[in-house]
Amino acid sequence: MSATTAAAMRPPFPAEPGLDVYNKKLGMWVFLASEVMFFAALIGSYIVLRFGAPGDWARPGVVLNIKITAFNTFLLICSSVSMVKAYAAVADGDPAKMRWWLLVTIIGGACFVGIQVFEYTHLIERGFLPSGVRDGSELADMVAKGVLPAATMGLYGSTFFTMTGFHGFHVTCGVVSMLYLFLTKALPGKYTVQDYAGIEVVGLYWHFVDLVWIILFTIVYLV
Amino acid sequence: MTTAAATTHGTHAHHDDRGFVKKYIFSTDHKVIGIQFLFLSLFFLLVGGVLAMQIRWQLAFPGQPMPLGNLLPASMAVNGVILPEYYIQLVTMHGTFMVFFAIMLLLVGVYANFLIPLKLGAHDMAFPRINMASFWSAFVAGILMSATMFVQDGAPRAGWTMYVPLSARHDYSGASTGQELWSLSIIFFGLSSVLGSLNYITTVINNRAPGMTWFRMPLSIWSLFITAILGLLAVPVLAGAAIMLLFEQILGTHFFDTTAGGQALLWQHLFWFFGHPEVYILILPAMGMVSDIVANGSRKPIFGYHSMVFAIVGIGFLGWIVWGHHMFVSGMNPTLGSSFMVTTLLIAVPSAIKVFNWMGTMWRGNIRFHVPMLHAIGFVSMFTIGGLSGIFMAATPVDMYIHDTYFIVAHIHYVLFGGSLFAIFAGIVFWYPKMFGRMLNETAGKIHFWLTFIFYNATFFPMHIIGMAGHMRRIYDPTIYAFLRPYQPINVFISISAFLLFGTQLIFFVNFWWSMFAGKKAPLNPWEDNGLEWTLPSPAPHGNWETPPTVYRGPYEFSSPDVSEDFLPQSRKLPSDREPALTPAH
Amino acid sequence: MATETHKHPPYLLIWVYLAVLTAAELGLAFQLPISRNIKLILLMVLAVWKALLVALYFMHLKFERWNLRVMALIPVPLALIFIAAGMSEHIW
Repeated sequence: MSATTAAAMRPPFPAEPGLDVYNKKLGMWVFLASEVMFFAALIGSYIVLRFGAPGDWARPGVVLNIKITAFNTFLLICSSVSMVKAYAAVADGDPAKMRWWLLVTIIGGACFVGIQVFEYTHLIERGFLPSGVRDGSELADMVAKGVLPAATMGLYGSTFFTMTGFHGFHVTCGVVSMLYLFLTKALPGKYTVQDYAGIEVVGLYWHFVDLVWIILFTIVYLV
Repeated sequence: MTTAAATTHGTHAHHDDRGFVKKYIFSTDHKVIGIQFLFLSLFFLLVGGVLAMQIRWQLAFPGQPMPLGNLLPASMAVNGVILPEYYIQLVTMHGTFMVFFAIMLLLVGVYANFLIPLKLGAHDMAFPRINMASFWSAFVAGILMSATMFVQDGAPRAGWTMYVPLSARHDYSGASTGQELWSLSIIFFGLSSVLGSLNYITTVINNRAPGMTWFRMPLSIWSLFITAILGLLAVPVLAGAAIMLLFEQILGTHFFDTTAGGQALLWQHLFWFFGHPEVYILILPAMGMVSDIVANGSRKPIFGYHSMVFAIVGIGFLGWIVWGHHMFVSGMNPTLGSSFMVTTLLIAVPSAIKVFNWMGTMWRGNIRFHVPMLHAIGFVSMFTIGGLSGIFMAATPVDMYIHDTYFIVAHIHYVLFGGSLFAIFAGIVFWYPKMFGRMLNETAGKIHFWLTFIFYNATFFPMHIIGMAGHMRRIYDPTIYAFLRPYQPINVFISISAFLLFGTQLIFFVNFWWSMFAGKKAPLNPWEDNGLEWTLPSPAPHGNWETPPTVYRGPYEFSSPDVSEDFLPQSRKLPSDREPALTPAH
Repeated sequence: MATETHKHPPYLLIWVYLAVLTAAELGLAFQLPISRNIKLILLMVLAVWKALLVALYFMHLKFERWNLRVMALIPVPLALIFIAAGMSEHIW
């Protein structure tokens, strides 16, 4: 980042040298630290519950659809790449390219949410709920046949929907924020090489959301 | 000399043409937001007190109709006699309102907001609009929490610590919507707290005036900074836990349901992992403000400034690994329990260092017993008692006997009332002139302090005694146990002291509101203090300074040999002072 | 503070790494006939590796000051302490 850019993104107020990071960016990192703790509570609880579970956990891929989710994971990673390309574009002085990459990111994020909603409806149809398995459903049959362990399905449903649900909520907030910035700032050309703080900051949030999913995908779907 | 002093103090901002709504309701000015938090939290302090009065009535005179009790609906009291179902709501909501909506908002919401930009020489917080969002989020949380007492089936009943399964199952507690609203309120409160923390942290790191290096910051700011970090990282865990509890109630999840493989202790681990840093959030800002006020009242530099800073950081750090001491009798892993005992005993050390340093500050000082100093000295002595009772609890074998007794209640109230609340009174009186441009009445302040001090000790000290005798917490009628009946006169004594304590607060209440309109107009620097805020008019103007002040020294230069006055403001330039070295356009 | 424009890290190369690691995870989870515990450890290693790539390169932590890196990392030991304590309830 050039010296002029850094100067413009600093408060116009002579101050003691703090961390060499402008306020909005520092604020976003601080916020992300709190988000790590929030997900740590949910994911940590899942780990503790699973570790102390009174029986076997369902085997991966039996309840959840790995193929669709693997594609979704890839999609989110791609949207993270397009986000960082948008940042690189505006930092290098090409706001037009930035707008294009930002739009790709928004579409990628929206598709991720859409696919998750589709996954949820399919799971609920098959009988998978936050409270466990619905009586008389396809999954209930599998439990009766011993394909799925009765003792832990309640925990499985509770932890799955809470973790992925809140992650999906965070992705949705990200998509909405990016759309808002795209329409009110990026399109009218308010992001320039002198000041692209908004892109950098929303980018950090987006990468964080991707990072959480990378962890979730592994420990919820693959283990 | 005076012109040089004037320019280095920084010119203060003048122009303010905002409308009424933007100025006082949806304001982004940190001082207005701080005052909004003050009014909100004082209201909830009153609510918490009213709930406590009812608890004390029931404990002293079980089964007897309470004065004004006939005003309560039949679900709460029959013929003025408090019902057990209502009693347990009182206990739960007293704790909830006091911890979250009174003390946390008073210490952090008010003082972090009001003091941080002023004491650092900044215009405002790093993110003024997020600051406004933080207040209104807390306001919504307050409304939701208040609503729990009025909805069908009443308020939650599992104690402010909301242990499962009592809190998770409507059929166990009897509460339904009220319990769900509690969880929802905590989520909004959590949001408010995190938004506030990120503002305080960013402002302290990045928005300090030239010359305000880290080790020239007042201890009030250091403690608010570490408190903000604690809040930032601990409150989201509470939010996660509250969400899981809410889902347990409305979606039928099984996180804590042992019949479906869940773990009841998981709630306790989640809650106390938040809960222990929380209690340091409730005491650190108090300690910081007391440091500022004790130095001011003693007319001496704070003893051991650097060790005070390291003690604050040490408490903040150790506070993360002691939470299990709240769970010694829960059936947790005993090895884990032992490690918590060790860390808990360790954390007494930095707190003790601070107490010795306050005493060292006062030693041979030219003490001014102004009202804030009285409250500050009250803090030091009462917090010491509370801390000492904590040592008893830290030892697991002792805690086996005193857990869930009134010994714990005594400890909590010695640190939260004797500690935090006295510091809050000190802070309110000390910074009132800068907030409202008036002085509080000194005589009324002194009477309020002494009566509060006496009645407070009369109320809470005997609780150590009945606690040791086995008087349990949250009990509706202690006289059902034969072994407690000999102690009932102490319960009566405590309750009467409590009623007198509550009544005494009327003096403060009247003083607070009357002085706001008719108090003596405050000068620039009524306490002859060194902080940057005292170089601004009282009340401080919108925008604080037009150009930031320059800082030449630390905040505790009292009785300096370099000047004839017994105080030396941080931004006053002496001929021997050099300008701070600032790297340009970094 | 760097006064020259820093060269961007090779984002597309990182993307390829991430895709390869994801494929490796899938293969490991479903194809390889190795014991569950080893599988678990290897999957965690791969997940953390991917997470670090995103944090260090996409979030530019590798190029920021060390204080920011420390700040970003502080929550991690706290989370691990909580998880370790919770898990210890089941091993006594």
